[in-house]
Amino acid sequence: MSGALGPEYTIVLGVFATMIMVMLAKNRTILAYWAALAAVVVSGVWTIILWSDRALPLSLYAQGVTVDGFSLVINGLVLLASAGALLIGWNDERYGADFPALVLLALLGMMVLGLANNFLVLFLGIELLSLPLYILAASGGYAESREAGLKYLLLGAFSSGILLFGLALLYGASGTMVFTQLGNSPLILPLAGAGLALTVVGLVFKLGIIPFHMWVPDVYEGSPLPVTSYMAFGTKVAAAAVLLRFLFFGFSLAVGWWEPALGYLAVLTMVAGNLLALAQKDMKRLLAYSGIANAGYVLVGISAHNQSGARAMLFYLLVYGLAVLAAFAVFTMVAGDRKSVSLNDLTGLARRSPWLTAFLTVAMLSLAGIPLTGGFVGKFYLLQAALYANEPGLAIGLVVGAMIGLAAYVRPLQRAFQAGDGAVVPIRWPIAGAVVVIIAVLGTIGLGVYPAPIVHIVNHSAAFDWLH
Amino acid sequence: MIPLNWVVALGAALFAIGAVGVLVRKNPLIMFMAAEMMWNAAALVFVTFARSFHDMTGQVMAFIIIGTAAAEVGIGLAIIVSVYHHRHRLDIDEVSELKG
Repeated sequence: MSGALGPEYTIVLGVFATMIMVMLAKNRTILAYWAALAAVVVSGVWTIILWSDRALPLSLYAQGVTVDGFSLVINGLVLLASAGALLIGWNDERYGADFPALVLLALLGMMVLGLANNFLVLFLGIELLSLPLYILAASGGYAESREAGLKYLLLGAFSSGILLFGLALLYGASGTMVFTQLGNSPLILPLAGAGLALTVVGLVFKLGIIPFHMWVPDVYEGSPLPVTSYMAFGTKVAAAAVLLRFLFFGFSLAVGWWEPALGYLAVLTMVAGNLLALAQKDMKRLLAYSGIANAGYVLVGISAHNQSGARAMLFYLLVYGLAVLAAFAVFTMVAGDRKSVSLNDLTGLARRSPWLTAFLTVAMLSLAGIPLTGGFVGKFYLLQAALYANEPGLAIGLVVGAMIGLAAYVRPLQRAFQAGDGAVVPIRWPIAGAVVVIIAVLGTIGLGVYPAPIVHIVNHSAAFDWLH
Repeated sequence: MIPLNWVVALGAALFAIGAVGVLVRKNPLIMFMAAEMMWNAAALVFVTFARSFHDMTGQVMAFIIIGTAAAEVGIGLAIIVSVYHHRHRLDIDEVSELKG
């Protein structure tokens, strides 16, 4: 069927449309934002139409890309992430004229990563995702933003180098570049082991797993707020999706090679990431460490190496993303014209804006995993997957990490409910930001109260029959 | 003809030099160059294996790596120049307003 890549083509057209509009206006123009948002919406509708298509799963371009339920769900997640980033940074003069076009380009990279079934597509997706984000990270126009861009660039190039060399060794060991053929080809052992290790390290770098996390807090803190939200949600989804597909499609027969290592990394990341989050005063930095810890939770789904793990991972990515979008939308409104929000800026927020405090509470409780929010259901499914896979260590690590994380997430709330000193300054509500925060909060609560429809979708998407 | 193993060993050596370069050098330009060296080591290994397998996909990958590296250099140099413009010295240890 020809329309299987329709969502991606729509985004390509959207990139051109936004660029042409910026060129015609010779300046930042609201039309570019509308064009970008329209492309995202059309692409989303097309994804939903494809979902009910019977022709899936489909393998195109000499098995280079696979369009299946998994890739469609990833499409939906990254479209949500980019719509959130666009709306949080809606028509903001601080981020330059090319903000919407760059967001769409990075979105294209994320969608390609969801489809990848081949080293070439994997590499192209990673770079298509990273290159616009380097510019976006540096686009804040202040020193910290440039520093974040520089650090992201250097560490990104470094990790892409590791990934590429790993892919090269895997190609040499197997003679094929297609994930699904890796399992069938005779592997030359030391070469394949080294290649797999380097590839996984490269991907885990992008995901921000401890001990490969050093760049995450600095880049998140320095980047402008909407870009940080995009990195925290979108790139996590894309990196996790491609890591899962690479390991499940390529090495489902050699689980012993990667599962123990990823399991230990997941436990380390969940515990250490939440511990490091405890000490943070800057909210972007807090969410950076929270992002690291949540990448650890996501890794639990991958290292459980079964279908319920993949499903729990997809579900968790959605609830994590909604909580992150809500938190970043609130922080953007609180920040106003400032670059960032610290703990002190939150003091007295309950007096200044009870609604924003309520929304922030929902987001933080969801990140901590309190019942009646999506975060609880997501962690519950991950726990279930870890126990199905007979991995009690993963389950214990998850629970310990969540318990430590609760303390980190409650601190900003405690500040928000403290009485502030001085005058009560009202907070401006941009309409676009309000839309994001309301949808994200409703989604978070909805997923916590009635997760069945999303669980149904996720169960149908991650149908990898060769896994038990 | 040069044996396959030697060329792969050369690629591994280039990769190791690049990785060490990124980790120990202080100048962002040199670090960036070292990272590009890691990419080129990978491209060399891809071409080597493609030649021994008589398979074109590895050669295509090498071209894609070269093209992407060019795009990355364009963006990377722009970012490095904009950092340099504001401090007139390039030392990664001095670019450290973000820490904690």
